[in-house]
Amino acid sequence: MPITDIEYYALEDIVGADYISRDPAVIECYCQCWGHVGPWGGKYSPRPAAVILPGTTDEIEAIVKICNKLDMRFKPLSSGFESVTFAQCDDRGLLLDMKRMNRIVEIDAKNQRAVVESYVNGWNLEHEVAKYGMMAAPIGVGPSGGVIAGACCHFGAGNLNCSMGGLGRNVLGVEWVLPDGTVYTMGSGEGGTDWFSADGPGPSMRGVLRGRAGANGGHGVITRASVKIYPWYGDSEITFAGPEDQSAIHKGISSVPERYKIFMVDFHSREKQFEALRKIGMTEACQMLAGALAFPLTEGNDERYAATVALQEAGVDFNRVADEGVVGVIAAETERGMAYREAIVNSIVEEIGGDYMPLGEEQQAQMFPALMWNFGYVIDAFRNTGDFLISPTSEGSPEKLLNMRKAADAIITPEMRKGRLLDCDVSQVFLIVNEQGAGGFHMENVCFWDPYNEDSVKAYLGVAMEAQNPDAEKSPFPHLGLPHLGAGLQIEWTHHVHEDLGPVYNNYDYWLRQVKHAIDPNNAAEWSAYIPEKYDPRFRDRVFWNGEWLSQDKER
Amino acid sequence: MQLEDYKHDMQRCTRCTYCTWVPYQDQQKDREFFKGCPSEKKYLWNSYAAAGKWNIGYSMINDRMEMTDMTVDAVFRCQMCGSCDVSCKVVNDIETLDFMYDLRAKLVEDGYAVPAHVELIEGLRAEDNMLGGKKANRGDWAKGMKVKDLNKETAEVAFRAGCRFAYDEELWPIARGALQILIDAGIDVGIWGDQEVCCGGRAHSIGFVGDFTKYAESNVEDLKKAGIKTLVTPCADCYQAYKVLYEKYDMKPEGVEILHITEYILRLIEAGKIKFTKEVPLTVTYHDPCHLGRLGEPWHGWKGKEVNKLGLLICHEPPKKYRRGANPDGYGIPRKIIESIPGITLVEMPRNREAAWCCGAGGGVKEAYPEFATWTAGERLHEAHTTGAQALVTACGWCRRNFVDAINEGAEDIEILDIIELVQKAM
Repeated sequence: MPITDIEYYALEDIVGADYISRDPAVIECYCQCWGHVGPWGGKYSPRPAAVILPGTTDEIEAIVKICNKLDMRFKPLSSGFESVTFAQCDDRGLLLDMKRMNRIVEIDAKNQRAVVESYVNGWNLEHEVAKYGMMAAPIGVGPSGGVIAGACCHFGAGNLNCSMGGLGRNVLGVEWVLPDGTVYTMGSGEGGTDWFSADGPGPSMRGVLRGRAGANGGHGVITRASVKIYPWYGDSEITFAGPEDQSAIHKGISSVPERYKIFMVDFHSREKQFEALRKIGMTEACQMLAGALAFPLTEGNDERYAATVALQEAGVDFNRVADEGVVGVIAAETERGMAYREAIVNSIVEEIGGDYMPLGEEQQAQMFPALMWNFGYVIDAFRNTGDFLISPTSEGSPEKLLNMRKAADAIITPEMRKGRLLDCDVSQVFLIVNEQGAGGFHMENVCFWDPYNEDSVKAYLGVAMEAQNPDAEKSPFPHLGLPHLGAGLQIEWTHHVHEDLGPVYNNYDYWLRQVKHAIDPNNAAEWSAYIPEKYDPRFRDRVFWNGEWLSQDKER
Repeated sequence: MQLEDYKHDMQRCTRCTYCTWVPYQDQQKDREFFKGCPSEKKYLWNSYAAAGKWNIGYSMINDRMEMTDMTVDAVFRCQMCGSCDVSCKVVNDIETLDFMYDLRAKLVEDGYAVPAHVELIEGLRAEDNMLGGKKANRGDWAKGMKVKDLNKETAEVAFRAGCRFAYDEELWPIARGALQILIDAGIDVGIWGDQEVCCGGRAHSIGFVGDFTKYAESNVEDLKKAGIKTLVTPCADCYQAYKVLYEKYDMKPEGVEILHITEYILRLIEAGKIKFTKEVPLTVTYHDPCHLGRLGEPWHGWKGKEVNKLGLLICHEPPKKYRRGANPDGYGIPRKIIESIPGITLVEMPRNREAAWCCGAGGGVKEAYPEFATWTAGERLHEAHTTGAQALVTACGWCRRNFVDAINEGAEDIEILDIIELVQKAM
């Protein structure tokens, strides 16, 4: 049953009429996103019943309590730039657009932490902490991604995982409106001793907050978070400039900051690439370390095609280098420190047998924002064909991921050859080192597909379905972990990842549902991109497809 | 274009939100001024951002969009300043601003024009201007000036005041000053006086494309009749309409050079025909008018089709040059003029050139949503204040008017100068 006028006015009473809407002009713009064609058969997910713009934690507490009382579901969003952001399981869902909560509450450089509200995005924080000689852990999606979204709610990995760890590991405390409306302050904050630790007193809630993939809004609203910040050796004012006769994409920093150095090495084989990542990572020499994800950053696709052809004609195969090379950024506070780190990297490159790629100053300056802050990744992910897929994906030991990489090739490359996925010669890979290699690697096998090209959709579905095949006998990825970023990029009542793969992996879904039940007894936090308290057979029978609710037996 | 023609672009809007910010690698210098879209900053809902308009358009062609008052509001409560277009095109190959023009045209065609805009258009049809003045009074601004009458004579250069300068008495000294500079430099220049008509640009921006083309045809014909080689205007709107929109609609005036007054003044400075003899001891900041800056980028006139390369890479045949806000003359020339004035110190606002924040007057906002227009101007005036400048200089009558109105309504006070006034102070 859709929400009634009385229910709507109860919510309006909390925030005021300007900050809630169920007008079609508003709600229609909170159900369209990239990535929707896979789970929803078109650009639309189900419309929310209303969208609300809370301004304070008190307002959120009141909203959540009403949702509990009236059997409504709520879900917060920051930038909204994620395919799972808007997902609704019924017509009583309320989206909380956190735009009004955009304050950087505190930057404490001495104790290396910053406290932010929900809407503060990565670049907003990065820019501000640079003034204090610090930097925040960036998220792979780039500057527009929300700090809290990446750290607390959704899978967050970035190029600097090597030195800073996954974003979930950077949380030092949160203010958290639990799904029943209780305001909970996690970790040291709970004891009133400031937000310097996410753990204690009492049992740690860190795992419940985040787990591996995050709850995508399915476990309440994080209204404030304290996150770690790290030393930045560049200028406190990050200055961008560029030629006046060129468009904005050609602008950037003029040179790599003095205390930073970029290197790219071609190791000529995946095995050596993985070995180099592991060995260099373990030395702690690099702030940033990854597979040599390389792509020409051009004005548009026509220019990209021209650049690709020109590079090929010049004998440069950037796809192969991306597949077999390593890119890194060394940073040090002193010249001596820089020389020491360079020497370490040199010795490993020599030992394994790699060739340094020549990088001019201008090229390095262009690469720096991409490597350090993930600028340009949105271009590569979406402009090529309209959408991208990162399955199969996993974290773990280099050996495991190397096997997965080979298996991924076997399902992705043939589709490239048929022209149903962007032909990059080999499947692309986002391969980053976690915590200097002690945390293994994070790997996403990337392909680019056009969600509005029928053949391409078939190829996409083929790859995605193979990646989540629960049948170990038939799966190309037996026991290599959960698909879709460890179920961080799935719509449970459409994909049934937890439901189908839980039994394969020690019935983990049972425990996840226990957690959901414990913190959300009234099932008020929208669970589509997380897990329901219990599986409802109705969700095997009906689907939302191409803008309509259909029964499963109706032909799509 | 019909909305259906934008279908693939609509589908490719990813909801990245870049359209709401100024470009990341470009001009994000101060967190307070990271936002680029006035509409989204003020009204917050995604519908008010360019991404929301893509969503509304897509739902219209899919027959699932209810046309409520708020739908119309989201589409028209926007200055069409083009900030979203520049930022979007950093990451995507889609024609955001062109689509937004056509979305407005579609709403007008379907009977959803905003009442205040209908009033404007009725005034335009009756009196050939967007300010509600009488046609017979259009030439009053130039009364007493000795200049050729293009209705009777031919001239090398036509000086076009535009509706704002012609009917806004407070701005008459600027229009007269600009014309006098040309006369004093010995230029063979004429005006149409009370026979000058609107360029049609504002009609275009509020979705009345038929009215726009009518005025465009008439203006192009007038240029031909008077044997004009160069058209000069102090109005950034007229400049953009003649230079960009007329070409977009295949009505480019052949053989006529279209120049904003700043471009002509720079030529006169470089030719030694304007000499600055007085010091102007002022610290100023320059506000890039949207129509002279990012919207003044030449029309590239691409015609072709979408094709796939490398299997699926979305490309074009022939390769398409997108308008991405690269307009070095539009940004550079006014700054060159300002910097050439003795005693002046130019300081930049955090958002400048292609990332400039709009003055608030465009897209029919000043007429239909005046409080939003002055709010937008107020944001810019605050930004100007943070630079420590004593004056804000602009090169557009609409911007100047809106800034002054905002100050009169309580926005942060700073001296507002048109670049012509600055040049006159130094001569």
